[in-house]
Amino acid sequence: MSSFRNTHQHNRKKANNGIEVPLLTQWLILFFVLGLSGLFFVYLKNQQHAIGKQTRIIEEQLVGAHAHNDALIAKITGLTSRGALQHKLDEKCLDLVPIPETAIARITMPASSQEGDGMRTASVSLNFK
Amino acid sequence: MFRNTSNRIGFVCFLLASLFTFFAFRLVDLQVGGHEKFLKLAAEKHGFKQPIFAQRGAIYDRHGEALAVNVPVRTVTADGTRIKDPAALAHIAAPFLGVKESELLSRLSTKRPYVVIQNGVSELDATAMMNALETAKLQGLYLQEGAQRVYPNGKMLCHVLGFVDHNGHGVDGVEKVFDQALAGRNGYRHVEHDRKGVEIVLYRGQEQPAENGKNITLTIDMGLQAIVEKELDNAMATYHPAGATAVLIDPVTGEILAMASRPNYDPNHFNDATPEQMRNRAITDMYEPGSVFKIVATAGAINEGIVTENTPIFCEYGHFLYGGKILKEASHEAFGEIPVRDVLVHSSNIGAAKIALKMGDDKYYEYVRRFGFGEKTKIQLPGEISGLVNPPSRWDKLTLTRMAMGQSVAATAIQVVMAMSTIANRGKLMMPQLVCKSSDGSVPANSAVRREVVSSAVAEMINGALSDVVSKRGTAIQARVEGYTVAGKTGTAQKINPHGGYLNDRYIVSFAGYLPAENPRLAALVVVDDAHVASSANYGGLVAAPVFSKIGEASARYLDLPMNPAELTSTNKNN
Repeated sequence: MSSFRNTHQHNRKKANNGIEVPLLTQWLILFFVLGLSGLFFVYLKNQQHAIGKQTRIIEEQLVGAHAHNDALIAKITGLTSRGALQHKLDEKCLDLVPIPETAIARITMPASSQEGDGMRTASVSLNFK
Repeated sequence: MFRNTSNRIGFVCFLLASLFTFFAFRLVDLQVGGHEKFLKLAAEKHGFKQPIFAQRGAIYDRHGEALAVNVPVRTVTADGTRIKDPAALAHIAAPFLGVKESELLSRLSTKRPYVVIQNGVSELDATAMMNALETAKLQGLYLQEGAQRVYPNGKMLCHVLGFVDHNGHGVDGVEKVFDQALAGRNGYRHVEHDRKGVEIVLYRGQEQPAENGKNITLTIDMGLQAIVEKELDNAMATYHPAGATAVLIDPVTGEILAMASRPNYDPNHFNDATPEQMRNRAITDMYEPGSVFKIVATAGAINEGIVTENTPIFCEYGHFLYGGKILKEASHEAFGEIPVRDVLVHSSNIGAAKIALKMGDDKYYEYVRRFGFGEKTKIQLPGEISGLVNPPSRWDKLTLTRMAMGQSVAATAIQVVMAMSTIANRGKLMMPQLVCKSSDGSVPANSAVRREVVSSAVAEMINGALSDVVSKRGTAIQARVEGYTVAGKTGTAQKINPHGGYLNDRYIVSFAGYLPAENPRLAALVVVDDAHVASSANYGGLVAAPVFSKIGEASARYLDLPMNPAELTSTNKNN
């Protein structure tokens, strides 16, 4: 009887599917890593979209700042144009004061026939940017 | 039908396998076979080619003063599907757009997704409006980028600069000639947007950046241009002519320093201008140059060794019968025998005609062409004409004598000033140059000698005679400039009657000259068309020469040209 019970117990033990913990752990880790990778992928995509939005906003701000700058430059150009200055002269907001020849101290000699072909002018040539 | 279970299972499996096989084939068909088609459909629905607009290049004068610039402007559009409160939107936006609130409200009360509300709204106003709308948490108005061409100096230099049309294409002047270089090239970017129309930056596709237009620097000096414009305005106010033209150049390099015509227009408002105002008379109008043309006969004859500057020419005491017609002096003076140089000094018609007769038809014609008449100067401006010089085969017996005194020939102002510059430049005819440089050097500067018309020795002789023209002995004492030796020649020609012959008491008067005569740095031409003055005073020496004098004096001071002390003394003595 005792040996029968022992044999029976042994057989039942054999008949049940045993949980193979290492294998299960292996699979769980695999699924966990895959799931985590998927989540990480989604997270990265979201981050990319968020950065893309920020990029677009910054680009718009940059374009706006450029346009604003250009508008201000154009305004300054208009206000300092010859026509505007002439208008200010006519309105007596500005005045031209003649400088007598005796009050002019020349630090460079005037252009003469011996000098090169370049014409010397009152203002300085600007280097082109 | 099926006798046992395994057959039924087999049949179901077969059906399922067939179904999935069909799906698989369909999937492959959609993904591979229909790839292009569906990609295109998707691209059309979500993606589009966004243009990146190139900025038009600016135009500067030789010292970097801005002559044509771009001002960013915005086009305000509305999306009717997103407007929830049109009244509130109109109330806030109307002041920024400069329209009535009720008018704006009627335009915003729409369900259309794209309505242009207003063009050309300034960047500052548009930004302020959008900020106000954002604060009020209103949506439905959007901005589109754009640019407007602005000419800060208004009418000044309008004929040289030209203007651009509403599409940004150059229509006239430098804007037209260098349109391609100035315009640049628009870029593009393939973008995708979500269902709200917002770009998905992540899916940006191919991108071609815009290539901005090149900046162009002209040879024009706005300081000198302002002087010329002011004096032309004064001349218009004084003489009330039909038109006037002035050109100022550097005779050594051929650089155009100033160019102006009247009537003129404001390129910022070109829609208001008439064709008459838009014409650059310096290059599109031809006129009989009159006595200025006498330099051709005298310089040519001396250069050919036919005469010297001192060869006596018998001037028939003011009545020269030739070809059955009597040729008279313009001043009704009676000259006997005078040297060739005095033919210029006294502007003798008979003397010039006799010198031309000594040269003969072919040789004289050769020199007319060598001085650049009858051909375009190739200035970098649109619409230039070549003038009118008939070949000797089409001349009658009188043509040679008439051409010698500047009749039976037509020239443009730029041709005349370039011819006068030939004398100032030791006999070398230069190519007129208008463009100094572009930002990448792509617009070629063409400072070049076209040809040597006469030898430097001959040019020096003519220079001496032309200096005497601007003296008490000559016809243009009013062209003198204190402190500088001026050389030049007056021109007075009757206006041509379109129906044949000449118009009585209507003249085109001119003065072409340069200074300082000993080392020319400036050459200028002033042409006044049909001045409203008494016919006895309607001469180049009395109308155009004073304008030249004022331009020359102010320009010499502006450029700080060294004075000639001897000339200063003699001028004071004259005073």
